[in-house]
Amino acid sequence: MVRWLFTVNGCATPTGSTGDFTSLTSPHVIGSFSYIRLPKGFKAKVWAKRLVGTAGFMLVINYTTDVTVSQPSWSAVDSEYLASAGSLEIEKRRPVVIPFRTGIEAIKLSYSNATANSNICIDVDIEVTDEDE
Amino acid sequence: MSVVDKLGLVNENQYLALYMPATGSALVFRVVSRVNKGFEVFDYGLLPISAGASLSTYAGTTTSAPAAGTLAPYSYTGDIQFPPVAGFDNVFDKSDIWHLSVDNRDRLFHVKVFVHPPIIRVDVRIPTGVTQTKFQAGRVVVGVGSATGFSRGFIETVHIPGIIYGYRFGNDTNLSLPVYIRFVYGEYIVEIPKNPELIFSILTRRAPSYWLTLPITVMDPGIQSAFRDVYGLSEPWGFKLYREDEKDRAIREYTNIIKGLKV
Repeated sequence: MVRWLFTVNGCATPTGSTGDFTSLTSPHVIGSFSYIRLPKGFKAKVWAKRLVGTAGFMLVINYTTDVTVSQPSWSAVDSEYLASAGSLEIEKRRPVVIPFRTGIEAIKLSYSNATANSNICIDVDIEVTDEDE
Repeated sequence: MSVVDKLGLVNENQYLALYMPATGSALVFRVVSRVNKGFEVFDYGLLPISAGASLSTYAGTTTSAPAAGTLAPYSYTGDIQFPPVAGFDNVFDKSDIWHLSVDNRDRLFHVKVFVHPPIIRVDVRIPTGVTQTKFQAGRVVVGVGSATGFSRGFIETVHIPGIIYGYRFGNDTNLSLPVYIRFVYGEYIVEIPKNPELIFSILTRRAPSYWLTLPITVMDPGIQSAFRDVYGLSEPWGFKLYREDEKDRAIREYTNIIKGLKV
């Protein structure tokens, strides 16, 4: 059984109020990536989030059932809101669990309500597992 | 005294049975001694592939390793051996630390390969280049490049002298993943028991042993040659498994095999 916990880091300087963290990085990964796609049978469990930014900044975790099409349809499965400028750390006792049943699903990290030209950063701890619990 | 220690390696004076599906037979060893007792962990490091190395993809094309020891998204390696790390220059085979000479017939490497990140697919081919994982009576060849025929993050095998094994690794995520290898291994000094009654007891599971199935579904000529040179075996390339009521036949056959053994 596989259990792999890794941290995804992302920063952006938005030009509009919404957008994606398109240049995500991780110490476990070479290069950058804009979404995470796992093999079928796996789950992504989001255990913790850290947000840094201006008041109103919201981190949104988006999920699609098919990332292979030219314009995937994304829907929000979780979000976290920064009420005031500064940083926020959220650690879940029960994680957000995202299933990968076909191997073409993906998750991406997005922002909304961001102040234009402000700096926002996130760290998200994701466990990749094929276990049921 | 349990057969294995907390690392899953066979304790001294315990038995190891290596079963081969291809022949329905097994090799049986007594672990006389463990050379590396107390220092079984070997942090090998990154997978021995260089930046730019050619990798197969699950789409049927090829791609390049984005960095040393790194698997590109949706890619898998060919057969990999593990060259020596610094200070291991005197190993028998400069391209494979687990490859023992046929003259080291009293040695076995029991190797547990831990792969990080554990989502990485891994399989082993014995000998290198020969696919042993198959589906439905051999109709379908499986392995790291297929939908099944591999494990993730871990594989265990026993290296027999004279045979080069090939490990393959696969990454079916969209991330470029550096792959780290940790071995937990036992270097055993072994002998094959000379008592056919004991061998029968081990193979009917009445005597305790550590039982490991080698992924040998085809008795490749390379394996036959090694078994002949290392152990003095011929067909059925080990001790065939018999039912309890076939004990007399088994003892007769085992007695004949034991006469020709080199270990």
